[in-house]
Amino acid sequence: MATAFELAPAIAALPLAAFVVVLLVGDSMPKKGAFAGIIATAGSLVLSLWALATVAGGEVYNQELYEWAAGEEIAFHFGILIDPLSALMLVIVSLVALLVHVFSLGYMNEEGETGLPRYYAELGLFTFSMLAFVYADNLLMAFMFFELVGLCSYLLIGFWFRTPSASSAAKKAFLVTRFGDYFFLIGVVGIAATFGTLSFAGESSFVVAAEEAISGGETLFGFGAETWVTILGLLVLGGVIGKSAQFPLHTWLPDAMEGPTTVSALIHAATMVAAGVYLVARMYGFYALSPTALAIIAFVGGFTALFAASMGVVKDDIKQVLAYSTISQYGYMMLGLGVGGYVAGVFHLMNHAFFKALLFLGAGAVIILMHHEQDMWKMGGLKDQAPVAYYTFLAGALALAGIVPFSGFWSKDEVLYDALILGLEEPIFLIAYAMGLIAVFFTGFYTFRMVFLTFHGEPRSEAARDPHPIGAAVKLPLIVLGVLAVVAGIVNLAPIAKLTGAEIVFLEHWLDGEYGAVEGLTYHEYHELMGHETSYIGSETLTMLLGAALSLGLAFAGAGLAWTLYNVPEPKEHTRRLGRAREVLGNNYYQDEYQVWLARDLTLPFSRTADRFDQSVIDGVVNGVSSVSLFGSGRMKRLQTGVVTNYAALLVLGFLALLVIFGINGGWFV
Amino acid sequence: MALVQLESWMALAPTLLLALSALALFVIDSIDPDTTNRPLLAGTATVGSLASLAVAVWFITTGVGDPARRGELALFGDQLIVDQMALFFMVIVAVVTALISIASYDYLRGHVYQSEYYSLVLLAATGMSTMATANSLVTVFIALELASLPSYALVSILKDNRGSVEAGLKYFLIGALSSAIFVYGISLVYGATGHLQLEAVAENVGAEGFDGLLGVGVLMVIGGVAYKTASVPFHFWAPEAYEGAPAPIAAFLSSASKAAGFVIAFRIFTTAFPLEAMTEIGFDWTMAFVVLAIVTMTVGNFAAATQENVKRMLAYSSVGHAGYALIGLAGLAVDGGQIVLAAAMMHLFVYGFMNTGAFLFVAMAEYWGVGRTFEDYNGLSSQAPVACGALAVFMFSLAGVPPFGGFFSKYFLFTGILETASGNPWLLAVAAALVINSALSLYYYARLVKAVWFEDPVAGRGQLTQPTGLYVAVVLAGVMTVLVLPGFGPVADAAYAAASALGP
Repeated sequence: MATAFELAPAIAALPLAAFVVVLLVGDSMPKKGAFAGIIATAGSLVLSLWALATVAGGEVYNQELYEWAAGEEIAFHFGILIDPLSALMLVIVSLVALLVHVFSLGYMNEEGETGLPRYYAELGLFTFSMLAFVYADNLLMAFMFFELVGLCSYLLIGFWFRTPSASSAAKKAFLVTRFGDYFFLIGVVGIAATFGTLSFAGESSFVVAAEEAISGGETLFGFGAETWVTILGLLVLGGVIGKSAQFPLHTWLPDAMEGPTTVSALIHAATMVAAGVYLVARMYGFYALSPTALAIIAFVGGFTALFAASMGVVKDDIKQVLAYSTISQYGYMMLGLGVGGYVAGVFHLMNHAFFKALLFLGAGAVIILMHHEQDMWKMGGLKDQAPVAYYTFLAGALALAGIVPFSGFWSKDEVLYDALILGLEEPIFLIAYAMGLIAVFFTGFYTFRMVFLTFHGEPRSEAARDPHPIGAAVKLPLIVLGVLAVVAGIVNLAPIAKLTGAEIVFLEHWLDGEYGAVEGLTYHEYHELMGHETSYIGSETLTMLLGAALSLGLAFAGAGLAWTLYNVPEPKEHTRRLGRAREVLGNNYYQDEYQVWLARDLTLPFSRTADRFDQSVIDGVVNGVSSVSLFGSGRMKRLQTGVVTNYAALLVLGFLALLVIFGINGGWFV
Repeated sequence: MALVQLESWMALAPTLLLALSALALFVIDSIDPDTTNRPLLAGTATVGSLASLAVAVWFITTGVGDPARRGELALFGDQLIVDQMALFFMVIVAVVTALISIASYDYLRGHVYQSEYYSLVLLAATGMSTMATANSLVTVFIALELASLPSYALVSILKDNRGSVEAGLKYFLIGALSSAIFVYGISLVYGATGHLQLEAVAENVGAEGFDGLLGVGVLMVIGGVAYKTASVPFHFWAPEAYEGAPAPIAAFLSSASKAAGFVIAFRIFTTAFPLEAMTEIGFDWTMAFVVLAIVTMTVGNFAAATQENVKRMLAYSSVGHAGYALIGLAGLAVDGGQIVLAAAMMHLFVYGFMNTGAFLFVAMAEYWGVGRTFEDYNGLSSQAPVACGALAVFMFSLAGVPPFGGFFSKYFLFTGILETASGNPWLLAVAAALVINSALSLYYYARLVKAVWFEDPVAGRGQLTQPTGLYVAVVLAGVMTVLVLPGFGPVADAAYAAASALGP
């Protein structure tokens, strides 16, 4: 009987098979290949759950499967690492992928889209790449699949490639993330060159090697070991910032909403964007060695959380609001990881995957209801027309806003708590904490502005008065995710545990290896590596209660403001009152403009100069060499006169020349 | 684990099978003179060479010739030896013979001397296979002549074609001159050492005191080898012979015959003239090969660069590749260099596929009658995409572009030579010449690919038929050139084993 781990390759291979099948014969399959995708992702989910259960039983899997290149000092291989973290992520990814496949039946098939086999094939390829990324056991394999999910993202954003905006958004997403991945690649090469290994776990991992280098006080490439580890960590972080849409490489994500909403839910909310944050968690032991890198992660995260939330306030398109909210929420995760809250970051990653997938799919349902209208000002009053969509969306919104007791509250609170207790010891982190805290207010506001504008009040358009019905394929995933958004917080009720002393912080125990873990990849080991000191206001419980009350109060304040402004029959565009600020926010702080300026007015002239140098100097040399060669060639050809006596003469002369040279040299004639 | 204990002379089975099929063809011809039963003739030749290939591969896998397993087999008073290198080159010869036998099935349609053609091919192959086993200067010379004489006839077998006859005559004259130099060199070596058997020669180097005489003799032996491998300045026959000969014969000569020339070079110089003893008497022959390698590469590639005639371009490219393989001997040192020697063997192995394939494509073009220059080949891909795909593989592999086999063998040559360059700084010049010439070669190889794939088709070219035999041979060679990539491990292992068993 095969064990869960022996079948682990099938977790990724099943969607790959679906990709191949749908690509080849998708057109003649029922539902254009949707069922193949559903069966494959359902299979992946079952196997992932089995793997999760096996990990819970105390086993882990860290296996090299295929070595594809070997040198004298380093070998590259494919392998699988299933530990608590990756098992959890496998379940999240395959579950969301399955639900999105089901939802697509209602969103894509019933809406009569063309090119569906292409859509399902690309979804299959994406799911394969993402799952393989998640359980990659080394950084290079992770990088390969990191790139592959990026490619799938490009393909799916550009699914409606005949729309100019979609193809341009796809290109933008590809280029911006590639910019980050460039640094990631250098980081991978740097790590391989420094430590001679790219494995995440085990005795021969680069994490262990880096730790030894630091404790041994080695000098690497002219830097102190810790400085060099920081440099490598920051290079890899380039890929993370691009993929997880962190400032300043976040600009692609809002544009990525040009893709189908199902794609936004799966790729640009729940899974692929999480790949960056997941990578930080995956190699957390490495980052734990570098306080500087962690601090940068914390500040990038805190700033992005606030920065993106503020832009979400003025958006009118329902998907745009969700896009900025996604950027902001990933900021929280980065903040959590940056302040040492490994459990908090992963917890928020999990909760966010559920409630943001729910919100995007809910938005998809709204878009079906509204006959493909996305402007919230044309909606209103959908509450009574589509109760399932409304209540599930509301559950997601409450989780997103961080209202107790919905899942988002627990994880966001834990992130902020970890930031606070570190900040009390090292005040600089209080700035990051404050940014995260203020973002809570904005989050509450834009979330409920979205809910009220969409579902409450009077219908403001013909479409909203007479919505298109939605089917079971749409409702089912919403209900599943809605339930998860409500209850997922149970896995780590840290505040209640602290108050009552009950042992209910399951996720923390899970990630701390209480059930089983690969050595070196557990929460407390990371903690020891970091050696963060923390302090409290009064006692631990008091600090926690104060922090929770503060963030909950701000969330309610934001939601309450939205309530008073927008929960009226005929809401007005209050954002007009913001004046100049609205303009700045509406233009996304001119981020796109300055990036375009960088590209067009700085990089382009520089490239032109380089091109001119290339054309004149380099090409000149090359052309010179080639004309000399061709001239020489003409001479060489003349050796062959066609007269056989000439050949005989040349042959003998050539031989005699050799004879004379070697004979005199060797003294044969004396 | 052999089921039956074979007699030791059976180790020559790969050679004997080739000879046997040549005789079978004579029998067929005497029963039915001037037969044009092409399936029977081509079939006999193909089956014979494939049988030879199968036996040689079987010997390698069962450890014949491996000192650690069944041991090297010396026969007839050490006149012949079957070791790993012999088997390795027997494989190359048999593969090339099989490929050109298949291809000739179509090429000889309407040809008069068919059974003669195949039996001459097999006799020449027998000679080349014997060259791989020859372990005495006499057997070397006899085997070389056995390979050469049928080759002269084969080059001029198109009796009504002036080019073919003229090429055959030139080949013969240069061959006679070179053989004279070679056999004179052998006599000088005999005079200086008193022996012909290679190990015995090695033991007596410098013993009799005729050092100058021996030096001249060795240099003349180098001349003989250079003739067979088409190395400068003994290469003059090659462009003429390849151009005038039927294209399958050009493939045969430039791949199998060249490999056979190299096997005698490798054996004579590693066994009979040990570097240590030769250096003591004042003749470090690696320097001669350094000079030959650089000059051969450069002349071959530079002359190929501006050729208009495709076959002539391939002929010069073949001279250039002889220069690459010569690195194997140039890189030898007193205490090492087997890596380079093994790399040269690998290169000859890969070359057996890619060069044969390229010439067979030319054979196909001759069969179609499309013409001989680059322009005549323009746009062939629109009419024969599969063959042209294979041609692109051959060209890029010859140029040494990854991921094809030619890249790997050239890469090993390059890294090997850099590793041994610490002992002999001149090798850096060889490495530089290798890089420069490879870069130049990409120019003319890519030109052919461009003509075939990117130029507009020549107007008024008729429908092209699909000759089965030629197609099979070309595609087979192409597939093998690609498959060498995943299969490079065993090939490299075999070459390393063969090279290290030789030892300098």
